[in-house]
Amino acid sequence: MFSDLERLRPMDSIARGPRSLAILNKLADVCGDSILDVTRDGITIRITLKAGCLRKALETIYSEHDLYFRTLTASDERREEGVYKLYYVLGIDSEGTNLVIEVPVPEAVEIYTASDLFRASDWYELEAHDLFGIRFNGRTLRRLVLPEDWPEDLHPLRKDVSVEELRELYQPQMISRVVTELGVEEVVRIPIGPYHPALHEPEYFELYVRGEKVVDARYIGFMVHRGIEKLAESMKYDQVPFLAERICGICGFVHSTSYVQAVEDALNIEVPERAEFIRSIVLEVERLHSHLLWLGVALHLLGYDTGFMHAWRIREKIMVLAELLTGSRKTYGIALVGGVKKDIAQDTVSKVKETLDRLKREYREFVDVATSVPQVRARLTGTGILPRGEARAYSLVGPTVRGSGLARDVRKDYTYAAYHYVSFNVPVYTEGDNLARTLVRVDEVFESISILEQLIDMLPSGPIMVESWETQPMKLGIGSVEAPRGEVIHVVVTGHYSPYRWRVRAPTYQNLQAVPIMLKGVDLADAPLTIASIDPCFSCTDRATIINLRSGSVKTVPIEIISRRGSGRG
Amino acid sequence: MVKFLRMLAISAREGTATRKYPFESSLVTPEFRGRVDIDPAKCVGCGACVRICPPSALTLNYESDEVVLKYFIGRCIFCGMCAYVCPQDAITITKEFELATPELNDLYDEVVHTAVKCNVCGKPFTTVKLVKEVEKRIDGGDMSPLFNTCPECRRKLTARRVGSGVTGVSVE
Repeated sequence: MFSDLERLRPMDSIARGPRSLAILNKLADVCGDSILDVTRDGITIRITLKAGCLRKALETIYSEHDLYFRTLTASDERREEGVYKLYYVLGIDSEGTNLVIEVPVPEAVEIYTASDLFRASDWYELEAHDLFGIRFNGRTLRRLVLPEDWPEDLHPLRKDVSVEELRELYQPQMISRVVTELGVEEVVRIPIGPYHPALHEPEYFELYVRGEKVVDARYIGFMVHRGIEKLAESMKYDQVPFLAERICGICGFVHSTSYVQAVEDALNIEVPERAEFIRSIVLEVERLHSHLLWLGVALHLLGYDTGFMHAWRIREKIMVLAELLTGSRKTYGIALVGGVKKDIAQDTVSKVKETLDRLKREYREFVDVATSVPQVRARLTGTGILPRGEARAYSLVGPTVRGSGLARDVRKDYTYAAYHYVSFNVPVYTEGDNLARTLVRVDEVFESISILEQLIDMLPSGPIMVESWETQPMKLGIGSVEAPRGEVIHVVVTGHYSPYRWRVRAPTYQNLQAVPIMLKGVDLADAPLTIASIDPCFSCTDRATIINLRSGSVKTVPIEIISRRGSGRG
Repeated sequence: MVKFLRMLAISAREGTATRKYPFESSLVTPEFRGRVDIDPAKCVGCGACVRICPPSALTLNYESDEVVLKYFIGRCIFCGMCAYVCPQDAITITKEFELATPELNDLYDEVVHTAVKCNVCGKPFTTVKLVKEVEKRIDGGDMSPLFNTCPECRRKLTARRVGSGVTGVSVE
């Protein structure tokens, strides 16, 4: 290893600015010889660190004010390098720098948890334990992704476990959940979920209620963990975008784009400019339809169905526009590694402009009325408060974090596709309540329309796909996209014909961990909207079971009914 | 405070937003991607579409005298990748989307090719049309004697030839 002086010099040349230099120097001071390697490629700085120094390193940097914990990817690289790997992907928001801490983890070595520092890392550690068997010290390890009756030593994402073996070793059984006494006589436990078959993913909240107030909440998820990361390891590079797009039924294109960007980052593929523009255009169209969908659902939960109907009437024009641009209303299917599959024809451009003009007029008229309905405002104001400090500690993303006063937006901070060609604002509200999160989305629709107008006007000519590209094994790539709900980040370790490891992190993964904070102290009637305010998935078939612990009686009511019980007070 | 009443004026202006489908035409745009259509005259059975198809809706099935390209619409995700990669332009994307049927067989489409059997082991391994197409593209050349040999047997033959070339001993 090098001496201290020799070490500092490369840090100077590797840092992207004063912020990353300060952080790198701190790490060099604390970890010294435990730093095995430091490299930079584009906006990504990669530090390889011995497992023994990881805790000290994270302790040193977690309080840096603009550091954002984005994802933690575990990977089984025993075949290639004899170790498991942990990739901590952090972001320096103010500098737009990806900071990857790569930690080789030999078999049987335990890692000290970081969940007390970066609170967002809680789920990532549980997931790495479930799927790879990596053990974390200093915390409770419970099941997160895998069901409770999963065999103890079977870790499905290890390379020596085949899909056939998994099918043989695990047959799902009905898990019977036992109602546990809480000890507090007056508290009632209200489970919400777990079935949301129509829109997103099933989620399950347990609300503990005293009278009308929610005193605590718990989230249990991963009901439909589909194992697509394992599946992708057996699919070809250009087949995976279609799988990625099906992660979400509402914002699928952000996933296929993140995936192809990660592969392009790993293999240094230069995407043609026109393709970058088309990607941005389709991404903004997707944001428009998603925000209008959310606005409609939120108004529906508040009992203002007129607003719901009009939001969706306006949204329909965007769906038709999406079909015109891509060939499909949803799951557009045009992202491929190295570009896009479908060009925008000249006569489509004028149709896009026409639709945008009309959209802008109709939307302005609609939100002006909808947000001034007194009951709507009263129900949104001051409910589901998420303080700025908590939003930062949990590394939250999207409109959720921007409603709590932090201007985090991947389009600006870690720019991609064609966003550096356009000017736009990032709407931020500081109140942290449901109204703030609503207004962030309301304003973002105007911004998206403006972005689309600029992109369409500037659309450059040229090819939409690179002529050819080649794979190289074991390269690391990061692709991130600002989805309607917040940052989507994909990490890819490349293989010969397929991704060797593909890690997907959707924005809800980050944001759901903060929902229990928002729920504390709200009225039961405001709970459904508060959960919906981060824009997870919701459907009209949602049902909640109310169990009264004292009498033991059970009744099932649709979630709208809980939501509407308060609407008379507005 | 009565601003919300303005919604009435908007509703009156916009009228009914829904259409009386199926009694009125559907709203499909000219760019819509529906099921695909395979032209049996152009298809040579090369299998490029089968290799790219993300949900495996397209499969090549080797039977004794035939190679059958099967398209199962029930699995199709309408991504159009098959049309995108087809070297013969045999696949077109149609605008058909009304595909529900009580008859499962309606969801299958097939292109039947005559198989070429390996002249060494006798297994069917490719189609007559593909062999002709390759011949056309490379203009005969040195490879032609091996056209009717399956890849596995070809590998063994080559290994033997190289083996005897190096050692001077013919390997059986």
